[in-house]
Amino acid sequence: MTDSLSLVMHLLQFTDSAFPVGTFSFSNGLETAAFEGLVHDAPTLEQYTRDMARQAAMTDGVAALKAHACHLRGDFAGITEADRSVILCKMNAEARQMVCRMGKKLAELSIHLIPDQTLSLWLDEIRTGNTPGSYPVAQGLVFAAEGIGSEELFCSHQYGVINMVLSAALRCVRVSHFDTQRILFNLSRETPALYEQVRTMELEEMNTFTPQADILASLHEKGLQRMFMN
Amino acid sequence: MNLALPKEMIPYMAQPKAMPVGTPGKTGYLRLGFELDAEGRSILRDWERHAPLIVQQALYFDEELPLMPCVYILSSGGPNVDGDRYKQHITLRPGAMAHLSTGAATKLAEMRYNFSSMDQYLDLEEDSYLEYLPEPTIPCRHTRFLSRTSIRIAPSATLFYSEIYMSGRKYFDRGERFLYDILSVTTRAERFDARPLFREKFVIRPADLSPESLGAMNGYDVFANVIVLTPRTHADRIWETTRPFLDTGQGLQAGISRLPNDCGLIYKVLGRETGPVKKLVRAFCSAVRLEVKHKPLPEEFPWR
Repeated sequence: MTDSLSLVMHLLQFTDSAFPVGTFSFSNGLETAAFEGLVHDAPTLEQYTRDMARQAAMTDGVAALKAHACHLRGDFAGITEADRSVILCKMNAEARQMVCRMGKKLAELSIHLIPDQTLSLWLDEIRTGNTPGSYPVAQGLVFAAEGIGSEELFCSHQYGVINMVLSAALRCVRVSHFDTQRILFNLSRETPALYEQVRTMELEEMNTFTPQADILASLHEKGLQRMFMN
Repeated sequence: MNLALPKEMIPYMAQPKAMPVGTPGKTGYLRLGFELDAEGRSILRDWERHAPLIVQQALYFDEELPLMPCVYILSSGGPNVDGDRYKQHITLRPGAMAHLSTGAATKLAEMRYNFSSMDQYLDLEEDSYLEYLPEPTIPCRHTRFLSRTSIRIAPSATLFYSEIYMSGRKYFDRGERFLYDILSVTTRAERFDARPLFREKFVIRPADLSPESLGAMNGYDVFANVIVLTPRTHADRIWETTRPFLDTGQGLQAGISRLPNDCGLIYKVLGRETGPVKKLVRAFCSAVRLEVKHKPLPEEFPWR
């Protein structure tokens, strides 16, 4: 019982937006969507956040689960393959920068909390430039090292993405805490269905269709608004 | 390329009742090989075609690059129908250049049993240059389409590759928008030593999840996806001079991003109608050609 309680505590710690990996610096494209007037109230924010949650599930979510499974069976080559796949499928430079910065930070921080040989080896590979060091793969490794399961990993990953957008929304969209919490609550209910789709997917199957979000990301990259890094 | 059937197409494996999969006339194949001749002119040297995919001959009609062979790919079968399997293999040998397009839009017919597919292989060797601007793809009600494009490219070569997808036959009958069953589109690129450069896949199943949501098509009907693989110095200058914009009044917007591994650029356009999207894609192609070949694209023929 004590062990399972501490696992829940650690799950909450790794998922908390106060966990210092820099999530508050990113908006997942919301800054430009709000500036351009596409996201302007609670319903449009909910639509946008749902799209971002789905996109993350079908790409980074797959990689996180793969990294988790590879750690458990000691397949280091599989971990680096998952890591490279995350970057190969990211069509936007700021999105790649986001996952790499957060991934390295999570690995550096976690190594002080959980002595784990695989995590340590992976961090060395990041530092030598042999692997990109993406955030979803870092999450997969940390959760596996701590003994937290794949369902919890997926939920934590999705929660992080949704919460990143909604936290940014409080700073750039005219919505209240009531709105953002309701959206989070609604989207959390949709997470099990996403997990069912994602849990058997291979890295090759990672896919996303968000041309509007891609164009917004491009506008941000070449634009002047810089409240957030993407 | 992994030729195993992707999971999303497994529900569409029934044998068509008209002509079975693999019947002559349903398995189009095209192999085009461009290279430099003894005088340094690019020519269409290798050429194999199986109906319904057809090319006639290379023409040299581009007034800005009169030494570049231009080839139109035609389909003698009309629209792609249930169970059609097409394959294209296009190679550019060192230093060669070519311009490819299609004679008309690719119409994807209604399908009841199986699906239609296109597997493409584009090989660009050192210093080669390929512009591939096919006309738009129009999926009808209950279309199922699998498109897989696999690119191998040398670091010094340049590829401009565009795809334009419409929501459907927007003005047919009461209008068909996103009434197809599935579009599964994958584009991937690697170096000749198998080092991967990028991989983009999208799967749209409108009945399961509307592609009209805010982050996806957001009410627009036409989507252009343009890949430019080119050396970093060219990519930097094209990126600097290309302006992303969002003009809701005109119903048109475009964005440009850098692809992973410094391999080039990706340009995306959303529009309400096909004409302005095609025009924007051509203008972007002209910017790429100006950077790489120091010549613009000529005006489009008035009948296109």
